[in-house]
Amino acid sequence: MIYLFQLMNGIGLGMLYFLLAVGLSVIFGLLHFVNFAHGAFYLLGAYLCYALLEYGIDFWGALALSAIIVAGIAALVEAGLLKRIYRMDHMYHIVATIGLALMIQEIVILIWGPIGSSVAPPKALSGAMMIGHFIYPEYRLFLIGFTAVLAVILWWILEGTRLGAVVRAGSESTDMISLLGYDINRINTAVFALGAGLAALAGALAAPIRGVDPFMGVEALAVAFVVVVIGGMGSYTGALIAGLIVGIVQSMMTTIWPAGASLAIYIAMVLVVLIMPRGLLGRA
Amino acid sequence: MHRRRFLLLSSIASASLAAPSILRVAHAADDDIIVAAPLPMSGAFAANGKYGSMGTAMAVAVADAGSVLGKKLSYLEIDTEGRPATAVRKVQEAMEQKKVQLFAGGVLSSTALAMGEEINKRQGIFFTTAGADEITGSKCNRSTFRWSVPTYGAINETVRPLIAQMPKAKRWYTITPKYVFGEGLLNAAKDVFKEKGIEHVGNSYHSLDEKEFSGYITNAVAAQPDVLLILNFGSQSSATLRQAVSFGLKDKMTILLAWASGLEQFEELGADVSDGIYFGAQYWHQIDSPFNKQFVAKVQKEKGINPNYSLAGAYIISKLLIEGTKKAGSADGPAVAKALQGMEYDGLTGKETIRAADHQVIKNYYLLKGKAKSAMKDKDDYADIINSGQSFLSPQDAKCTMT
Repeated sequence: MIYLFQLMNGIGLGMLYFLLAVGLSVIFGLLHFVNFAHGAFYLLGAYLCYALLEYGIDFWGALALSAIIVAGIAALVEAGLLKRIYRMDHMYHIVATIGLALMIQEIVILIWGPIGSSVAPPKALSGAMMIGHFIYPEYRLFLIGFTAVLAVILWWILEGTRLGAVVRAGSESTDMISLLGYDINRINTAVFALGAGLAALAGALAAPIRGVDPFMGVEALAVAFVVVVIGGMGSYTGALIAGLIVGIVQSMMTTIWPAGASLAIYIAMVLVVLIMPRGLLGRA
Repeated sequence: MHRRRFLLLSSIASASLAAPSILRVAHAADDDIIVAAPLPMSGAFAANGKYGSMGTAMAVAVADAGSVLGKKLSYLEIDTEGRPATAVRKVQEAMEQKKVQLFAGGVLSSTALAMGEEINKRQGIFFTTAGADEITGSKCNRSTFRWSVPTYGAINETVRPLIAQMPKAKRWYTITPKYVFGEGLLNAAKDVFKEKGIEHVGNSYHSLDEKEFSGYITNAVAAQPDVLLILNFGSQSSATLRQAVSFGLKDKMTILLAWASGLEQFEELGADVSDGIYFGAQYWHQIDSPFNKQFVAKVQKEKGINPNYSLAGAYIISKLLIEGTKKAGSADGPAVAKALQGMEYDGLTGKETIRAADHQVIKNYYLLKGKAKSAMKDKDDYADIINSGQSFLSPQDAKCTMT
């Protein structure tokens, strides 16, 4: 029974990791741009959700608004700064996005202080489900369902719509997309904003589980990179599978080998990279 | 970009993000007396570091308005990143390049033990708030002093009173971080369990980097304990508690966090989470002692907040280092150490004494119980003190042989 609960726990964690990593993966796939500010967008999403709840807005409104606001900020940053360095060496990408991440982190500390806070789940989901003497929080159950629906919508957008086709084609050849008459700058901005918005949504959804603190972005970024490396850079389905693998491995290991649970995800990453150097579904 | 390059750049960038700061000097000149604060200013324990830094800065500012023995008193912040190797390297740099002799900080036992050894080799002086028994026990040394009650006392002043209060709660489960501090708490708890006939129904170890505790909570639920004893610290204990509460454990069992980080932790958790939970504490701003009342008033006036443990601990250890320097008439490590040995003073917890044999400060440890939001008299009135007392191993039992 305990393994069943750890499996369920792992799926919940994995779906959150997927949501966190898919934006990073899609941005990399289209823009060939490594966004080290991704964790900071996750952090900002979590804090905005917290602030909006404190302001009296309900959870669902706070969830949507935090993702939209962060996506808007990301669009401005992309259009004002990042698009100027896309064609430069990756070192410039790293310096610019690390700088951005540190700025966001310090701004969060300036506004909300260095100490974190708890975020209550919505009242309707604050209970727990009991099976025998095992307990599972309703909010985590909701998270599994919500992220699953979101994953389907995202898949449909990327695989089943004209916008998705343009984005996928853009990841193969941006010049070709431009020649076909599409404004590649606008597409880049939209994809970057979508990726950041998804990170913010992951942050806002994670807030009732782990609270908020100014350093949560760094930790999230590390997990997102593990998921992207395992799943394969630029792959949507890879991110989904890898997110679930990481979540389930981490959760199962807390029972099998508790002291090494957090190490286990990195071991999984090393194994995948050794056996499948491009990740599970990577192209490059 | 190739995968290898991606992995390489990711590693470099992640390290840069996690550790942005190095040595930060506040107006230090070569002939100043410098009090250095080696603290985790980045990483999982950065919140403790930031308040600790504030405490040392306040103590330095107070000391004769910044002048001691006719010299300017300065303050140096050192980011240990919570890593022993980094801490030792930065302490070496501070001692070699800035000629620093006085160190107040540590927070994490693993970094405190490593720094204490290094500072002792170079004949400086180190006052810490870290908890592992070894600091003033088997690894005690002439240069290291400790204000906080070690893990032995923290367990004995929390687990024993709770057993006395709930004699029918016979099944206890523990969640423990796998490093020297956690092991110290766990061993002390096991000794009390054995003595009191408590069944230790299980333990989950976790790493020092762990952030997700739902798996460990599930392990605990499976063992069906009466009491969940949480033995980790700082943001890890907050995450554990928060997730335990979200799993509805408050209604199924009693929860004790043996070593809380004080007011900052209550602020982080909020009364909805902390209500009904037991917390062990080194310091609480409502302690009824003359010096604490003065200190609280000062912090309220200057910072507009009530002092938390990180701030209070750093303040008192920095103050003691400065007092020792004045008494010794020198900032020389061995002279200050001699001046501090046996010192009695009015401290935050009442009369406190620095035991000469092992450099352990003898002071109270507190058991708090979180109260409901509706029962709070002000915004920081999160808990009631329900027990206080002093439990210390003798220097011989702690196996302290000065080196």
